[in-house]
Amino acid sequence: MAAYPNIFTPIKLNQLTLPNRIYSTAHAEVYADAGGMPGDRYIRYYEEKAKGGLGMAICGGSSPVSIDVPQGSWKPVNLTTDRVIEPMARLADTVHRHGMKIMIQATHMGRRSAYAGDPWPHLVSPSGVREPVHRGNAKEIEIEEIKRIIGDFAKAAKRVQTSGFDGIEISAAHQQLIDQFWSPRTNMRSDEWGGSLENRMRFGLEVLQAVRAAVGRDFCVGIRMCADEFHDDGLDHETLKDIAQAMSETGLIDFISVIGSGADTHNSLANCMPPMALPPEPFVHLAAGIKSVVKVPVLHAQGIRDVSQAERILANGLVDLVGMTRAHIADPHIMNKVREGREDQIRQCVGANYCIDRMYSGSDTLCVQNAATSREATMPHVISPTNGPMRRIVVVGGGPAGLEAARVSRSRGHDVVLFERNETVGGQINLAAKAPQREQMAGIVRWFDLETKRLGIDRRLGTEANAEMILAEKPDIVVLATGGRSHVHQVEAWGASEGLSVSSWDILAEKVQPAENVLVYDGISTHAGFGTADFLASRGSTVEIVTPDVKVGDDVGGTTFPIFYRRMYAQGIIPTPNFWLDRVYAEGNKKIAVLRNEYTDELEERAVDQVVIENGITPNTELYWSLKEMSINRGQIDINALYSNEAQPVLNEQTDGNRFVLFRVGDCVSMHNIHAAIYDSLRLCKDF
Amino acid sequence: MAVAPAITVLFWLSTATLMIGLARRARLWRAGQRAPVEWAGLLAVPKRYFVDLHHVVAREPYIANTHVAVAGGAVAAILLVALNYGLAIYSPILDVAIVLAALVMVAGVFFVWQRRRHPPKRLSRGAWDRLPYTLALFAVGLLVVIATPAQYLSAAIASVALFFLLAGSAELVLGIGFGAPMKHAVAGLLHLAFHPRPERFSGVRSTALKPLELEKMELGVDAPADFRWNQLLSFDACVQCGKCEQSCPAFAAGQPLNPKKLIQDLVCGLSGTSDANYAGRPYPGIAIGAHSGALDNPIVPQLIEPATLWSCTTCRACVEECPMLIEHVDAIVGMRRSLNLTRGEIPGTAPEILANLRETDTQGGYPKPARYNWSIDLDVPQAVPGKPFDVLLYAGEGAFDMRYQRTLRALVRILKAAKVDFAVLGGEERDTGDTARRLGDEATFQRLAKENISTFATLKFSRIVTADPHVLHSLRNEYPALGGHYVVVHHTALIAELMEQGRLSTATLTNGKPLTYHDPCYLGRYNGEFEAPRAVLRKLGATLREMERSGPRARCCGGGGGAPLTDIAGIQRIPDMRMADVREAGAEIVAVACPQCTAMLEGVAGSHAEVLDIAELVASALEVPA
Repeated sequence: MAAYPNIFTPIKLNQLTLPNRIYSTAHAEVYADAGGMPGDRYIRYYEEKAKGGLGMAICGGSSPVSIDVPQGSWKPVNLTTDRVIEPMARLADTVHRHGMKIMIQATHMGRRSAYAGDPWPHLVSPSGVREPVHRGNAKEIEIEEIKRIIGDFAKAAKRVQTSGFDGIEISAAHQQLIDQFWSPRTNMRSDEWGGSLENRMRFGLEVLQAVRAAVGRDFCVGIRMCADEFHDDGLDHETLKDIAQAMSETGLIDFISVIGSGADTHNSLANCMPPMALPPEPFVHLAAGIKSVVKVPVLHAQGIRDVSQAERILANGLVDLVGMTRAHIADPHIMNKVREGREDQIRQCVGANYCIDRMYSGSDTLCVQNAATSREATMPHVISPTNGPMRRIVVVGGGPAGLEAARVSRSRGHDVVLFERNETVGGQINLAAKAPQREQMAGIVRWFDLETKRLGIDRRLGTEANAEMILAEKPDIVVLATGGRSHVHQVEAWGASEGLSVSSWDILAEKVQPAENVLVYDGISTHAGFGTADFLASRGSTVEIVTPDVKVGDDVGGTTFPIFYRRMYAQGIIPTPNFWLDRVYAEGNKKIAVLRNEYTDELEERAVDQVVIENGITPNTELYWSLKEMSINRGQIDINALYSNEAQPVLNEQTDGNRFVLFRVGDCVSMHNIHAAIYDSLRLCKDF
Repeated sequence: MAVAPAITVLFWLSTATLMIGLARRARLWRAGQRAPVEWAGLLAVPKRYFVDLHHVVAREPYIANTHVAVAGGAVAAILLVALNYGLAIYSPILDVAIVLAALVMVAGVFFVWQRRRHPPKRLSRGAWDRLPYTLALFAVGLLVVIATPAQYLSAAIASVALFFLLAGSAELVLGIGFGAPMKHAVAGLLHLAFHPRPERFSGVRSTALKPLELEKMELGVDAPADFRWNQLLSFDACVQCGKCEQSCPAFAAGQPLNPKKLIQDLVCGLSGTSDANYAGRPYPGIAIGAHSGALDNPIVPQLIEPATLWSCTTCRACVEECPMLIEHVDAIVGMRRSLNLTRGEIPGTAPEILANLRETDTQGGYPKPARYNWSIDLDVPQAVPGKPFDVLLYAGEGAFDMRYQRTLRALVRILKAAKVDFAVLGGEERDTGDTARRLGDEATFQRLAKENISTFATLKFSRIVTADPHVLHSLRNEYPALGGHYVVVHHTALIAELMEQGRLSTATLTNGKPLTYHDPCYLGRYNGEFEAPRAVLRKLGATLREMERSGPRARCCGGGGGAPLTDIAGIQRIPDMRMADVREAGAEIVAVACPQCTAMLEGVAGSHAEVLDIAELVASALEVPA
């Protein structure tokens, strides 16, 4: 009967009844308005999850309770001031209208920040040990400061309660101040705040006591904690079980949210939001370990992207609630789709970590495959049919831009023809999915493939469109999403034309066999170059990866480059940053790559069997030029309208089979990434 | 004038024969159990015949008119003969009237003959096929004997005519005693007089099963003699027209059930014969001639196979169609009760479901509070003693099903949008016992009903609303016999009412897809509610494409009476046939109003029309988001 009996079994946390067992964990959204106030964008982002049927969200990842925590880089909710109560109340009211519960994470970051930003504080940590990820230089915390911060927690909790929130989660995870006290890695004190485990737990305990005293018995209070720091000098699983048990025994908390892995080094941080390279639910056993010793419900997220996976985890009794946070960034309507038996329509997170990698580079969280997320004010998650004229729309190219253009146009109610040269849709994502441990990129294509079929788009696969074929369709609108081709010919001296070098595309598509000794030249430092190097090394080649950038894989983000680096060192790939590839020539049966140092202009040569070049793409524009003059708008997009999210004025023109409007999206304009290609199409086609 | 006394003799002889036959037959009926008898029913027979019965017969004008001519002519002729010859008046004027009546009868017999030349498959053949001839003998014999002027009435002609009359009269008067076709005339009229559900004749839709008095060890029908005597009588009224067979979804699906054959088998049981002389279509897959019964012999399996009884969806289509107003479903449930209560022989997953009901008060074996899991985020008020409210929302077993939860969630949105003061029982809600009752587990039904009734007694509310017609039927029609009297409305009726009062503001359905409405049996035939759902759909701007079988004659989805649980195999599935009806109507959406129908129709394999409850359609058109 019920397909998800465990997911849809309510649970009580203190006085709070949650309708189902799926929630969204606290994460750094980077959406708060100036001063750390949840504004329109912030509220709409959570409202969309509420509309989508989610039971509970915990918002405001690492929202600080004290003013000596710099907030600039991840724009959390500012719990240090009463000014936050009113906007938080608006947020709570909004999501409550849709039946969702909301809590917020509160914390003091301790050393886990960079001092170099407002208010330029002296960071505090139990023993002043520097934190490497954020370059967090810190001072040794003094008892007066400890007392102040405990008081700050209590005041912040009271603000949360006053605002009408349903609960608060105190963070003792990711090496923030409470677990900096817990961890022998950061607490070398010999006073009553350090030394024995009991002493190390004192700070956290007093925080909880102060919070409970502030909010009373009936308000939901939980903690988030790590279940193994994965550092020899850190907290291991057994110790953390002891801590969890002690916290549970206090009777002060209503739940424990568990994550695996510490987070104070680049490499451990990459575990926290497990990227696609990690197996599914990599740390659920740690959460289950905690559950075995505590009396309160255990919550757990990390690499649980599928509802049937969540159902199985719940059915096995491993945890009590499952966090599906990135899953809801990719598709905030998961729960409704499950309720309605539309699981096939769920846009499933693939673990590309575009969201979190943007956060760690100081940008707002966006989804690689859903351009509407966090743009709810302007971009629809559910495309509604147009009330305007029905049009015939031809989309050329079945990569992400073309697929989104076709999907959105069709959802508006139009007749859509999609031409794709290859036998399968997906474009360059299919190549991206060839790289080792990047296979799940194909999940992005899978969803588009299913949706474009479901919506009844006339898909002409294996058909390379030319101008004549397009005109024969008598289109009102033509959207070109013809993508690009490997840009190996940018530098003539690379010798691609003479076969002295080959493109990464040809390697990944297995058109060219890997040679024994290979030099990969990565001109742009995205996932592609690294993926190619990994692809070659995994097939037995000896690989050196050369880039003019500061470091190899420089543009892949904070939780992704460690995965590449693990594989790089494990496979003996030689990283050579700061070098340009000047030219390639042949000598005997060897290829000689001439490298030039960015900073000294010194030349070096490598004698290899194969030079593989990843240099991004150059746009495919032939179709565009052949259609441009025939189109009403000469192929131009009105960027004033586009950037203010309004319909293209040219759509008001009369179109018929002979007069059509021409647009271009994605890589066929200039090299963009997957998110940008999809956004290009969504913002353009939503008003068709 | 020598024939006149002969007619008089013949008349009294016939009357005596008829009375002896009737007495013999009545002895069989009286083997049945006691039933309350209203002798006044005899006086009501003309009205019941000409209004109630004819109302059903008139659905097929050809045979209705034919029957008026044949039976009307015959009855008129016989009454006139009784007067003129029985009382030896011998008035020539009355003779003219007799001739006219006989002529009408002859005309009718002609059409009977016509029809018997190419009979529809549903008609039984055998003895019934001789009727045009024997009735013609009667009418023609009478005509000749009476209309022929004495000077032309030679002894030879008179003898032949009298022989015709004698043969024809034999058909008329021996039927009741020997169980021949004409028994229907006598038994039928008596059945109208002593009908087990006399309230049917006062315009009441009488559909509630009668409770067993368990403490008196009433355990259902094991042998024919366990039926009430007037039920036995009702079986004898059957004319084997096969209207029931034609409307039976199980028969159409090739399951081993044919309501006509079932009634005829019970007649065999009554009269202690085998079914060898049955001349209609058999139970699909079960050969004729291998079964026989006797008044005190167990029915199952000697007379009727259990699979026949478990194939019934209790949809009442047969009852709706029966011109003789026979109650097939009561008979089937009566026999199921015995199989359940005395033998414990129930097929499929039904035993598990019944065990669940006994142990958990839910069919699926869930903890009771889980019934309202779907409602947590909707903030649905919980009924508490001492806090009066207007409407009690009773979700039923469908609340455990994810698909059906969408309907319930839509209904809650509607109630909230209309600002209805409602509450739910939450963990206090038990199954109504409807499924248990249809499966024959009267004990579980009565226990659940009594417990629900005592729960209701702790609360103050004005009425109950449910989206489940099976719940509706139990609470509205079957709980009163156990002391629970409530105003119960179906959600479609409540929605129609709220729309009527202007409390719900809805837009027109946007997609404009062609839509049909599937009448749930327990809402339509059981409760007479055909209009409210359609009114709601019209309000939403839907243009209904009615299926051929709709309204009172709607085809069952296959989900009633525990049939999905007993799961008797056929050659096709009932919901598939129903979905084919939907397709034939050209509909892309089939609006439903019952959790069983929703589940059955959604379970149809392959691409098919979208199945949406009326509540879902209304909620999707709500103008104010609730």
